[in-house]
Amino acid sequence: MSCFAGIDIGSTAIKIALIDEDKNIIATKVTSTGSHFRKNSIEALHGLLSENGLAIDDLAYMVSTGYGRKLLKEADESVSEITANAIGALEAGRKYGEIRTIINIGGQDTKAIQIDDSGTVTNFAMNDKCAAGTGKFLDVTARNLEIELEELGDYHFNLKTAPLPINSTCVVFAESEIIGLLADGHGKEEIVAGIHYSIAKRTIRLAKRIGLEGLVYFDGGPALNKGLVASMEDELGQKLVIPEFPQLTTALGASVLACEAYLDEMETA
Amino acid sequence: MGNEIEIEEKKVPFNRTPQAIEAERMLRRIKDDFQDNPAAMDYFYDLYEQVYCKGQSLHEKEKIVGTMCVQVPEELIYAAGGVPVRLCNGFYTDDQVGAEFMPAKSCSLVKATLGMLDKRSTLPFVDKIENIILPATCDQKRKAGSMIGEMGYEVYNMEVPPVKESEEARLYWRRSVHNFAVSLKGITGKKITKASLKEALAKVAAAQKAYRTLHNLRKESPSIFLGKDAFMVTNAYFFDKIENWTAAVNKLNAELEQRIEEKITAAQRRAPRILFTGSPAIFPNLKLPVLTEESGGVIVADETCSSNRMLYDMVAVDEYNTENMVASIADNYLKPCTCPIFTKNDDRIRKLINMAKDFAVDGVVYQSFSGCQVYQMEHSSIAKALKAEGVPMLFVESDYSPDDMGQLSTRIEAFIESLKAKRRRKR
Repeated sequence: MSCFAGIDIGSTAIKIALIDEDKNIIATKVTSTGSHFRKNSIEALHGLLSENGLAIDDLAYMVSTGYGRKLLKEADESVSEITANAIGALEAGRKYGEIRTIINIGGQDTKAIQIDDSGTVTNFAMNDKCAAGTGKFLDVTARNLEIELEELGDYHFNLKTAPLPINSTCVVFAESEIIGLLADGHGKEEIVAGIHYSIAKRTIRLAKRIGLEGLVYFDGGPALNKGLVASMEDELGQKLVIPEFPQLTTALGASVLACEAYLDEMETA
Repeated sequence: MGNEIEIEEKKVPFNRTPQAIEAERMLRRIKDDFQDNPAAMDYFYDLYEQVYCKGQSLHEKEKIVGTMCVQVPEELIYAAGGVPVRLCNGFYTDDQVGAEFMPAKSCSLVKATLGMLDKRSTLPFVDKIENIILPATCDQKRKAGSMIGEMGYEVYNMEVPPVKESEEARLYWRRSVHNFAVSLKGITGKKITKASLKEALAKVAAAQKAYRTLHNLRKESPSIFLGKDAFMVTNAYFFDKIENWTAAVNKLNAELEQRIEEKITAAQRRAPRILFTGSPAIFPNLKLPVLTEESGGVIVADETCSSNRMLYDMVAVDEYNTENMVASIADNYLKPCTCPIFTKNDDRIRKLINMAKDFAVDGVVYQSFSGCQVYQMEHSSIAKALKAEGVPMLFVESDYSPDDMGQLSTRIEAFIESLKAKRRRKR
């Protein structure tokens, strides 16, 4: 059986999607990037193939994306994560309706992407070289509050009062602000909700720069955080489309591009 | 007596200085990472190597007059027997030095220029410069003037009107240029005469004519010349001997015409054609043009003060007496100038739209240095105007630091990919 892989090598995690010729998902995997991301990517891919009874020869085409895309020489080609994200959101978002805007929060950047009905990127914006409002921000918050990243959502919804305003937009300064707030006796719930609203405000502002149209699709690891999702919906004033596996949209897009590139090659051959 | 501690100053050979290494790194990338560079480009590659990597001076006897912006009429400097050298600098090493003088969030170009002037290195002939002409353009350059003065340079402040359309502005600028022409005698020791001015006009016109030919050759599709090389050519105009520069560009033009006949192209047939605008690309900070072309785009034209805005508009003077010639030169340095310091600047929008059409452009890349407020502020009106014409634009905020390559390449690649997808859909 021929299969196609999309591999998204991000700053925090490696995401792999395997699909068949009809673009049905065979299997997916999320693993931490680590320092040897080329080795880790290959191992994860081989593991995923064998878990599903596939051999490396079954892999007909592989497209890499994400920060490590160019360094993965094993891939057939690479594509920027913006294009891959757009295709992935079109594919995964079809069952929800017409997706025209994508918001992605990754480990070290935040993107807003506008697409047309074919998944072609018509406009996009990205944060500058600063981790404000990215996944890293949540990481730092959780660490400072000595709670697990996965618990952030629970803390958010356990809030009895109003979220605290967090003014620092810089991760480093926010860290000292959080320590100050804890010292002042504020509860973790208030701080967590404050951080969520701070990220939501920044992200929605970025998205408004490109113009918000149609359904808004939200993906990337932080989309798993329901507290953040609620804050974003609050700031945006509309519901967001959250896919089943938010971390995997971009990898899925890359696998769809791999499948299409392969079929194109077969046609011209 | 004799107790002073003598510190032996270790002289680092020029080619081992951080800025020489920075220059060499970019030069290698521009030369070696691309195949089939025109043979005539060797003149320019060698020139950069001589000046920035080896520290060889180009101007031995001449009186060098430093200039800080495109608004300085260089014809007048040539006519007064001087050689204008544009000091706007692109080195990250110097940007770091200049950060001592300027606020943290200011423009890399201004910081780098200050850093270079303070160290009196980078450009091998900067230590010979005594006089610097500083047009009162953006706030940062204007205020840098006093700091440059404190470094021991003689700064001539040239007033520029903030609005260019009005008659008052025209008269104000004429007086400013007139006073400059008169003051030049005190700088170079030579008075401008009718004959010397005519000669200077012809010299600059010949250079501009060569540039225009090159500019028009870039309309060719598929593209026969890459933007990274075009920036190397125009950037060399900052400091090269003008006659040598003109001859080298003419030679390049002849080779490119030959290449059209032989159908030797510089980019793929369907490579998206890019118009570059915004904060100027100045060697060695050519990372954005180089990334654009490494990602499969081709820069076919530009609207920046390190290139097109500096050379495109010719000073055609047919006035009889010197006084009127100077007035005419003044008009030509004000009216067509699309520098974002002017309010309002609709000319820039018109120019970009026209260029996008003339060069069959697929998309515009807009560079703005972090801290360059005027370019940042103009970007949304330009994006809107281009969008109405169906031309997509990518706005990139960046500075001289080499550490944002990863993030920049993601943006640029995504932009190029979206232009390719748009083209595919049209077909």
